Amino acid sequence: MKRILLAVLVIVIVAGFAVAGARPERAAPDVQTVRFWYHLDDPETSLNPLIQKFEAENPGIRIQAERVPWNAYHQRLLTSVAAGNPPDVAQIKLWWQPQLVEMGALAPLDDYIAQWNGRNDVYDRVWELTRHSDGRQYLMPLQMVILYMYYRVDMFNELGLEIPTTRDEFLRVAQALTRDTTGNGEIDVYGFGIRGARGGHDYWGSFVLSSGAEFFDAQGNVALDSREAIAANQWFIDLFREHRVSPPTTPNDGFQEVIANMLSGRTAMTIHHKGSARQMIDAWGDNISAFPVPAGLTGRWTSFGDEQNGVFAASDVQDAAFKWAAFLAEAENNQLWQESSGQVSINISNADRDFGDLTRFMNATTDSADFAGVLPAHPATAEFVESVWPAAMQRAFLGEITSEQMMRDLANHFR
Amino acid sequence: MKRSSHAMRSLFLIHLPVLLIVLFAIGPYIWSLISSITPEGAIARGGVRYFPEEPTLENYRRLFARIHFADNIFDSMVVATLSMLFGLSVSVPASYSFSRFRFRGRRVLLLQFLVINMFPVVLLLIPLFVIMSRTGLMDTYFALVFAYATFTIPFSTWMMTSFFNAIPRELDEQAQIDGCTQLAAMMRVIVPIAMPGITATGIYIFITGWNEFVFASVLTGSRVTTIPIALQNMVGEFQIAWGLLTAGGVISAIPVIVLFFFVQKQLISGMTAGAVKG
Amino acid sequence: MKRSGHRANLYPYALLSPAMLATVCIVLIPMLYTVSLSFMNHVLWRPQDMGFVGLANYARALQDEVFAISFRNTITWVAGVIGLQLILGFATALLLNRDFWWRGLARSLILIPWVTPSVITALMWRWMYDGNSGVINDILVRLGVIERYIPWLALSETSLPAVMIALMWQGFPFFAVMILAGLQAIPTDLYEVADVDGANIFQKFFRITLPMITPILFTTILLRTIWVANSLDIIFIMTGGGPGYASYTLPLFAYIRAYQGLDFGYASTIAVYLTLLLVTIVAVYVVRVLRSEDAMR
Repeated sequence: MKRILLAVLVIVIVAGFAVAGARPERAAPDVQTVRFWYHLDDPETSLNPLIQKFEAENPGIRIQAERVPWNAYHQRLLTSVAAGNPPDVAQIKLWWQPQLVEMGALAPLDDYIAQWNGRNDVYDRVWELTRHSDGRQYLMPLQMVILYMYYRVDMFNELGLEIPTTRDEFLRVAQALTRDTTGNGEIDVYGFGIRGARGGHDYWGSFVLSSGAEFFDAQGNVALDSREAIAANQWFIDLFREHRVSPPTTPNDGFQEVIANMLSGRTAMTIHHKGSARQMIDAWGDNISAFPVPAGLTGRWTSFGDEQNGVFAASDVQDAAFKWAAFLAEAENNQLWQESSGQVSINISNADRDFGDLTRFMNATTDSADFAGVLPAHPATAEFVESVWPAAMQRAFLGEITSEQMMRDLANHFR
Repeated sequence: MKRSSHAMRSLFLIHLPVLLIVLFAIGPYIWSLISSITPEGAIARGGVRYFPEEPTLENYRRLFARIHFADNIFDSMVVATLSMLFGLSVSVPASYSFSRFRFRGRRVLLLQFLVINMFPVVLLLIPLFVIMSRTGLMDTYFALVFAYATFTIPFSTWMMTSFFNAIPRELDEQAQIDGCTQLAAMMRVIVPIAMPGITATGIYIFITGWNEFVFASVLTGSRVTTIPIALQNMVGEFQIAWGLLTAGGVISAIPVIVLFFFVQKQLISGMTAGAVKG
Repeated sequence: MKRSGHRANLYPYALLSPAMLATVCIVLIPMLYTVSLSFMNHVLWRPQDMGFVGLANYARALQDEVFAISFRNTITWVAGVIGLQLILGFATALLLNRDFWWRGLARSLILIPWVTPSVITALMWRWMYDGNSGVINDILVRLGVIERYIPWLALSETSLPAVMIALMWQGFPFFAVMILAGLQAIPTDLYEVADVDGANIFQKFFRITLPMITPILFTTILLRTIWVANSLDIIFIMTGGGPGYASYTLPLFAYIRAYQGLDFGYASTIAVYLTLLLVTIVAVYVVRVLRSEDAMR
């Protein structure tokens, strides 16, 4: 027995070392390796065609792409910067920019962009939105995406419902859709799947920022706890607590749960972007469609979900890194990227494509463009999104704090 | 008559309660196993199925085909093995010293190993993060090997001190009379006798390294990704693909359970020895 | 083992030196660094505000609602988990101390949770608690205990208890094994004498069994208290502390402050508070070890 154990141990150790020694693969010294971090909603997609194309066009540069799960993305990015070990290029959300710039993590790209031929094929509005408040451009545009409402056409038809354009109409529709379809006394379809966990600020924004709430007032003071903001927030909380048009799991529902509920028919409406359209069509075919989010008391607001590539200041292959970021922002490649991500190209010359069965989702996107907004460019925004908003929202949904306390917590975070 | 009532008694007082506890202990695994052979589509439809209509190994195939799960197993293997080697090579001499010698400061030093084992992991997370960043060890096997040494060295030193204490000292003296130096006596006589205990401790370190999540989540994750991190990532990446997740869980639990059964007797006697004497 | 001469005196220290060196480098110095950070403002994304702030972080914690919640939850968490593990572990040990034909198999199977990686424990239980297709909901509905599916991890009243049960599952085998070892060390003639005196089963339990295993019970509880108080992986994976702050504990709070807020200063302070909380328990344990452990002699 002892001998067997000993033998097992020795084998494990030897095997461990053998493979440990065999593993590190170093590229030839004259090849520059660019580490690229990205996230895509659909884990099945592959960037290989794009990478192969780039490497063929740029001999001497190797792209080492790494998919980082969205749930861990921001934390991984921050800790890698803090550890002095960031990737060379990474996909970056606009609301992280102030924090990353503050940390000195990003390399300014103005000089590169001035030399880059493709810059005029990117929408001016995109350049405008992505420029940092210090007047520099740190980010290379990659995709745009605007959030809209998905809805079940068949359920609307069955109940004779019209597409809601105001929040009151929306509430009535959501209430009508929330019902027991099997007759067992249990609600099995909910009108509106709300994302109560991290990332749900998009849903919240569409109803709260459209009804009088602002992050900052005209003088630049934090205004999230204004009377209007508290009332608008109360209305949003009531969707779940009072009217119960969202499933009981709402406070913990994240991206996966909200989409899964829509795909399984448990919810009849939810907010997301074009990235989910393909899956929705696979599940429901013609019975799924989209409309722009309804208006609140003061207008409409939806989230401009952006995505850029940033080159990191710590990178020692910045030239090559920029080449890759620029490559992805060129019309043909960008379109290829969008086919993986399901999002909208940032190139003017890609606007006139035929989108086939995705046209209705494309339309909902473009119809929402006028009122799509971004979160404030403030260093505290990242943490607001990652942890402050989710915790406050969950507690408000569960009745632990009032709307007023929630808005005060949010406001204090920015003070 | 009397026999059967005795059988009934033992059925209700022993067999059934034990069976319930055993079911509680392995229930989650049974359920995971069932879920892992249920087609993804059936899980997505909701509801609970105890007997999947069309059992499938698809989830296991996907696990190894689509994801770099084999790489993760490899990383875990390397980290656990190196941790074991490092932990043992440092703590075998230390515990031999504690067991065989009486020297100034011995009690304090021995106690120190006990106490640092009890400090919160969060107390070490930040400085180790900073150290690994500064030394460029971030995201390498060594980051985890050193981090795990923070708790494996104290633990195994204590464990093995009690194993060494169980070996009669006359053996050392005999070896020295036979002409061995102290070091040779330790290596050639005592260590082989203590081998079962050392093996058990080593495997315990291996299991801990295989299972650890918190340090791995902070110190690695990109170039080195151990199984716990890979599993946690899968939660974020897949749309709550429970079939896939449970398949990953089952696969990664098997090695530690098997290893553990090899050494459970040794390990338990080592862990309880101190306490029983108390 | 008395040895004369200078060399022999250094020899034990030489054997110890690798372990000591490693401990100093990766444990002691880092701990001091954490303590020093706890007096600093050290938010990684606010480099211009870094610096010494004295006790400001400590004061901030005392006014921080989240700290208060985490503190309360830590107490509930430790008391609840230890209580549950103790009860189930004790029952298991008493049963396994009886003689029956499949005892070896039962003992081996019961140990499985203990070696299960925390991540897998957390995932399996998360799946079983699922609000839409969780097996626990299904069983409870079938038994008539609840009327409809409950999203256990999404409700503030149930999320922490639900995680506590998962940790009970992982930890009760340790209690069982330790208590079993204690039971088996009780000399059987004590019971024989009691039988002669006509003692009933309860008298035997309270007069013999319990007093005989009290030392081991006490030691085990202390050890597990420290371990449970420090554990954060299962909570982190099952609920991430949520909903809201309903399942925040101090180690989890420190972890989240450190790696989601990159607030190393404040996170260090929370870690130091947690350590202070545990110091008493560690001290009690150390005193016991000093008294009893023959390795210390």
